[in-house]
Amino acid sequence: MVDPALHTAGVGALEAAINRALALDKLTAAQLGALDGKVFRLQCTQPRADFYLLPKPGRVQLKGFHDGAVTTAIRGTAADFAGLATADDPAAALINGNIELDGDSAPLMELQRILALLDLDWEAPLVSAFGDVAGHQLAQGLRGLFSWGRMAGDSVLRQLEEFIHEEARLAPPRAEVEDFYDDVDKLGQRVDRLAARIARLASKLQAN
Amino acid sequence: MVGSVRRAQMMSESDKTHFGYQQVDEQDKAGLVAGVFDSVAGRYDLMNDLMSGGIHRVWKRFTIEVSAVRAGHRVLDIAGGTGDLAMKFSDLVGEEGEVVLADINDSMLRVGRDKLLNRGYGTNIEYVQADAESLPFPDDHFDVVSIAFGLRNVTHKEAALASMLRVLKSGGRLLILEFSKPGNPLLSRAYDTYSFNVLPTLGRLVAGDSDSYRYLAESIRMHPDQDTLKGMMEDVGFQRCEYYNMTGGIVALHRGFKP
Repeated sequence: MVDPALHTAGVGALEAAINRALALDKLTAAQLGALDGKVFRLQCTQPRADFYLLPKPGRVQLKGFHDGAVTTAIRGTAADFAGLATADDPAAALINGNIELDGDSAPLMELQRILALLDLDWEAPLVSAFGDVAGHQLAQGLRGLFSWGRMAGDSVLRQLEEFIHEEARLAPPRAEVEDFYDDVDKLGQRVDRLAARIARLASKLQAN
Repeated sequence: MVGSVRRAQMMSESDKTHFGYQQVDEQDKAGLVAGVFDSVAGRYDLMNDLMSGGIHRVWKRFTIEVSAVRAGHRVLDIAGGTGDLAMKFSDLVGEEGEVVLADINDSMLRVGRDKLLNRGYGTNIEYVQADAESLPFPDDHFDVVSIAFGLRNVTHKEAALASMLRVLKSGGRLLILEFSKPGNPLLSRAYDTYSFNVLPTLGRLVAGDSDSYRYLAESIRMHPDQDTLKGMMEDVGFQRCEYYNMTGGIVALHRGFKP
């Protein structure tokens, strides 16, 4: 079991960061008030995370421990959650996907609808809470999660791709890869030509 | 404080108890503890942050979550010191609820009250100078009783636990947040070095008082460990007692219910 102090610290930092971001789109965040009193339990099996989300007007409360009724509990891997979050039809994705759900699904759909309306830059608050690298990567994750189903999704994916290629250098940029492939092709052709010349010279030597 | 001294005087005059590592007469302990907190009250918050690296806020946040306090509840925060828990409880119980911040030490109570008033808290919080061993409240009165970093300073812990049980409603819960015994021997040694070398120096530099912080370190070592305290709670009548170790057992949160 994770030390409650560590778990509580992580949940507290995430809550502070999310609320700083929600404060940037107050009108949409205020709609969370409609779900005040609901308790969502999010159990992520891979990577492991387990916490409760309680919507309040204009903000969310995150708790590592909750002693009381839970409205909706969902359980799955981060990939399952991402799949649900990016589904065109979240209700169908919930029914057909790998996510296990206990309780009432309607409030969960409402929570998704509100979060999808948010137009937020998660970067600044997360970077101030978690530091540059982790904050940026979390922001990218949240952008992907909260922007599902929006036309802006393409732009988020493009930004993510740019980040992976240009900033984090996790993968080489497409242009570099194409140049490299060109060079390999050219080298391959030169090797072929050289092989052909050698073969021709060898046959000449044999003939002489 | 006067009440506790008087109460202590009613006990056997020859009984000894521990004050840190020293053996002192029982009737003297409350006064000595009061001296410690009179000395540190002004810079208590700052020292807590420095001593724990800010982690005491996390320990208290977890305590609030486990308390399950909700709107309309009546909550007693004993040894409430500078009001960290009372503030959160006040938000949770709302206008229809009530929070009582009790502390035996008038210096701590005054610092806590000023802090809460300055932050706009007032309508649902009451301040009471009270001895944990003989709480001045009716039977079956509170939904939740909490005591954070206070029980180790109480002379007669069983009497205090019995008093807390009495003022709780049936089904109400007691939460004890207190320094405890780290489970890992390596962590334990590092923690000892920190407590007896770093802590008093910090106390001298920041609060101008190394002796008080040496007392805090010693009193932590003399406090019953996790299982002993759980047993003490069960002995006075609490049920479904359990504890959560935090930060490797440096701190433990005990919870028990009044049947």
